[in-house]
Amino acid sequence: MSLVRVFVMSFAVTMVSMLNIGTANAKSELVIGITQYPSTFHPNIDSMLAKSYVHGLTRRPVTAMSADWETVCLLCTKLPTLENGDAVLEMTPDGKEGIAVTYKLHAEAVWGDGVPVTSDDVIFTWEVGKHPKSGVSAAEGYRRILKIDRVNDKTFTFHIDRRTFDYNNISTLGILPAHIDRKNFEVPEAYKIKTAFDTDPMNPGLFMGPYRMTVAKPGSHMVFERNEKWWGKAPAFEKITMRVIENTSTLEANILSGGIDMISGELGLNVDQAVAFEKRHGDKFQIIFKPGLIYEHIDLMLDNPILQDVRVRQALLFSIDRDAISERLFGGKQPVAHTSINPLDWIYADDIPKYPFDMTKADALLNAAGWSKKVKGIRVNDKDETLRFDIMTTAGNRTRELVQQVLQSQWKAAGIDVRINNEPARVFFGETVTKRKFDSLAMFAWISSPESVPRTTLHSDSIPSEENNWGGQNYTGYVNPEMDALLEQIELELDRDKRKALWHRLQTIYATDLPALPLYFRANSFIMPKWLTGVRPTGHQFPTTLWVEDWDVAK
Amino acid sequence: MTMIGTTMAPAAKGQVLRRFLRHRLAVLSAVILGLLILFAMSASLVEALLGIDADAVDLFARYSPPTSQHLLGTDELGRDILVRLMYGGQVSLMVGLTATIAAAVIGTTIGIISGYVGGRTDAFVMRVTDGVIALPLLPLLIVLAAIDLNKLGIPESIVSSEDVSLYRIIVIVALAGWTTVARLVRASTLSIKTRPFVMAAQAQGATAFRIMTVHILPNLMSPIIVATTLSVGNVILLESVLSFLGLGIQPPLPSWGNLLTGAQETIWESPGLAFFPGMLIFVTVIAFNFIGDGLQDALDPRADDRR
Amino acid sequence: MTAFIIRRVIHSLIVIVVMSFVIYGLMGLMPGDPIDLMISADPNVTAEDAERLRAFYGLDQPLWSRYLNWLGAAVQGDFGYSRLYAQPVWAAIIPALQNTLILLISSLTLALVIALPAGIYAATRPYSVADYSINLAAFAGISMPPFWLGILLIMVFAVVLGWLPAGGTADAGGASGMWESIKFLILPVAALTIAGIGGHTRFMRASMIETLRQDYIRTARAKGLSENRVVLHHALRNALIPVVTILALDLGVLFSGALITETVFAYPGMGKLIFDAIMGNDYNLALVGLLLATALTLIGSLLADIAYASLDPRINYTDMDQ
Repeated sequence: MSLVRVFVMSFAVTMVSMLNIGTANAKSELVIGITQYPSTFHPNIDSMLAKSYVHGLTRRPVTAMSADWETVCLLCTKLPTLENGDAVLEMTPDGKEGIAVTYKLHAEAVWGDGVPVTSDDVIFTWEVGKHPKSGVSAAEGYRRILKIDRVNDKTFTFHIDRRTFDYNNISTLGILPAHIDRKNFEVPEAYKIKTAFDTDPMNPGLFMGPYRMTVAKPGSHMVFERNEKWWGKAPAFEKITMRVIENTSTLEANILSGGIDMISGELGLNVDQAVAFEKRHGDKFQIIFKPGLIYEHIDLMLDNPILQDVRVRQALLFSIDRDAISERLFGGKQPVAHTSINPLDWIYADDIPKYPFDMTKADALLNAAGWSKKVKGIRVNDKDETLRFDIMTTAGNRTRELVQQVLQSQWKAAGIDVRINNEPARVFFGETVTKRKFDSLAMFAWISSPESVPRTTLHSDSIPSEENNWGGQNYTGYVNPEMDALLEQIELELDRDKRKALWHRLQTIYATDLPALPLYFRANSFIMPKWLTGVRPTGHQFPTTLWVEDWDVAK
Repeated sequence: MTMIGTTMAPAAKGQVLRRFLRHRLAVLSAVILGLLILFAMSASLVEALLGIDADAVDLFARYSPPTSQHLLGTDELGRDILVRLMYGGQVSLMVGLTATIAAAVIGTTIGIISGYVGGRTDAFVMRVTDGVIALPLLPLLIVLAAIDLNKLGIPESIVSSEDVSLYRIIVIVALAGWTTVARLVRASTLSIKTRPFVMAAQAQGATAFRIMTVHILPNLMSPIIVATTLSVGNVILLESVLSFLGLGIQPPLPSWGNLLTGAQETIWESPGLAFFPGMLIFVTVIAFNFIGDGLQDALDPRADDRR
Repeated sequence: MTAFIIRRVIHSLIVIVVMSFVIYGLMGLMPGDPIDLMISADPNVTAEDAERLRAFYGLDQPLWSRYLNWLGAAVQGDFGYSRLYAQPVWAAIIPALQNTLILLISSLTLALVIALPAGIYAATRPYSVADYSINLAAFAGISMPPFWLGILLIMVFAVVLGWLPAGGTADAGGASGMWESIKFLILPVAALTIAGIGGHTRFMRASMIETLRQDYIRTARAKGLSENRVVLHHALRNALIPVVTILALDLGVLFSGALITETVFAYPGMGKLIFDAIMGNDYNLALVGLLLATALTLIGSLLADIAYASLDPRINYTDMDQ
């Protein structure tokens, strides 16, 4: 009898100790679970969330947006503004209105191999960025810079060819280490294949952040250790491991079994999964939900004659209960959107037309639009055409599929027949949406940045077509001259108050015309151990890892 | 190489049945399968009896436990689980049977022609078959499932219909699965065509078509039936795998495969949701396998030697 | 024998080349190119950027010319660059290949060790309780939806009991030492083995039953040899022949078919690689991966036929070409 007891006890002790596999070293090491591995480590080629998350640990942009939604200096020392004189209005050589912006890099900023970060690195980055054959994806930002003055080792001045309100925001420019990569750029066409970021990814000279990457196994994991040459506040953790686990159920299993300490909010569970997780295990973990800038919406094909009637579009929105969806499906963590502008953005206007769930209004609008007759519950017009739409989205995306089914059911109650037709992402984005081949409704998300002007999605010159080689993202085909003018004006308006007024008008038009049906802003769910402090979800595209030096273990 | 059981003489019907009945697990499986088919077919009946609509989304009753109306509770959108399982059964079973039969038809046709005609045709067909067999199955299905139907010239009305994912699965499984049956049939044809009664028919001047359909085909039925039955289970599993990858039957059309996939995201919180579709797939596939096994024993004339 | 092998090797090479074109063509039927996916992910990419990038990646050329370019380079040993992994294709494949081979060999070995004895045992006691149980177990394994099994294993052994890690590789989990590393393999190998073992067991059983029916077995028994000797010495050698051929063919299947297991257990192998390459429009990687899998199947088939011919003296090499 006692032998059995001894056996059971030792068994139990072994089990319990094994349960602590992951948490035993929790204090000096952190294991983060993410759902994707970056396809390239070069900061300016191929934009990917996984990459910017990882780079948050190892690199610093010149400027970034903080968790308080203010532009701040990370590599620079003082944010140049017109007010403090570091930004000066000027005329460009060919007579256009431009601006000269001067930055000063942090005196102690060095690369991981000890070489200082200098203006030469910035100039090299610009050369690579504007070269047509370097493989850099978004070249526009580089082309705007006409010239860079090298004032001294740490100070440089950009001469930009236009005056936009975000003149001092160069966060998308990832500074490249000239002393390492210049030789790989000798043949520009081969740069993408030869860049040290991919051929020598653990080279300490590529990093100027608190950590450097010591292990990189594609599809599997990455390990980061303290960068000895880091010139800022020392980070608390000696080692951070990022494990890539694409299947979210396995991700959950790992955090429950201790294989990982936390699940990244930027690259982790969906909100409905996280809400369900919270219900079951909320007491064992620290769970933070932060709504972000990912705007889930439904693009409406404005070529479709039925959808050209604004009353039908408005009725579509009135007949769905987005508050119920947000409340019931997402535990209230994903706020309903009224336009593409996020409530956290200072330009957000609240006094615009809104569409709470209202069947009577929907009914009235549809009747007025000629859809009053009903055959077997579905509306028909006098030509006996049925009020039918197709709603498409990315197959396999559970959350979107759930929302689709709810919407289908709600629209059916209003007499609108909506059929669900999903495709894999590569088909959906590769053909259907980008070439405007969807019949009526296309549900997907836009990732935007704070104060980002929706020019490519709303301007009439951004409608993808055969002629312009399918460039542009105005998939709905929205044409409104007043909107066009507003979009152009906002970019150039430097006065904050005047800009706010312009944004107000933009949102009002958007909410009245409804080129797209706003749904909600996706929230990021951060699942962390109770002993982790200092992680501040930002709500925009700058990841929490940019402030990893503030993360610590609770005392 | 000789495949076990390819050259089988047709057995008398009564004998077949008796032998089948000896195989207890096969009989049990047949009964269970019958019950499952009944289960699936009674979907609309149960809907009416319990007063529920399978598609009705009720956000206020998500994940609710079993009640007198919702005998198994509700799913992530408040829909009744039991009825959706039944409709899902209709889809899964239908896809399984149709796809397998389609593959069998294609395979048989190719196999008979290849085996009977022989010569260069046979050699060519066998090379093609070998090529298709050599391609890895799952990636092949994935590529086929991801193909843009418009590029193939298929009319828009079909491409955007609700059931297109259904047709697509049937077609791609048939396209990938005909090879096994083809080889089987060809081997059988080769041996059957040397039999006296075939030679006699040829001497009488019967056309190749007549010989193939009237004389050879009936003798092939046994191996074909066995192979087909054993494949149905595989197809049902394939459907669940494709649904897991997002390439199978698309919601809201329920199938056991996509019900299982749907449940896996919240598996730690509501494991019951995943249990039922998984169990049903499991039982169905086992049942088909045992029935196929039993049929193989029953149709094999040498089975009596075993005792 | 050498003539046969040479003929088969040439034949296989032809199949591979033809298949490379077929696969390239099939992928061409898939919509969208990587640039479209890039545009949807990054709002800053403009129309000019798209055009520039398409030219840069050679995507504005017709399919057949891209295929010929690839073929030309491949013949010289350059299999191209993987866009998804930002590495040459081979560098991206090798780690996945290693992982898959480990999984493959472990699970095949385990499957053999369990399936063969079980199949033999069941064959020697037909219609007994043991036979039924083994059959049931065998069928149970192959009838389970693969990821149901995987999640079940994780649930029981990783979350509830906490004995084993919930997926991942030894590397990723920071494991050191033999036992720690093996812990990561146990569950995925178990999942694959359970799924595959049924087929092998039943095949062994069927083959053994067929063999035991032969006349020479009856003779051996009549001679008074013990049942053990009859079964294990005389029958087994012949019964193994078809089983060996099935095993060889399994190589190809397991290679790329373990995708679900790899996904559920976060185990980066060839199945996942090929899938990601196809879905991510990485032509080069997908093509090489698929061809590798095809080649493996063909090699397996060749090995199976050679083994079959060597083991069974009745088989003539020329017979096998039909």
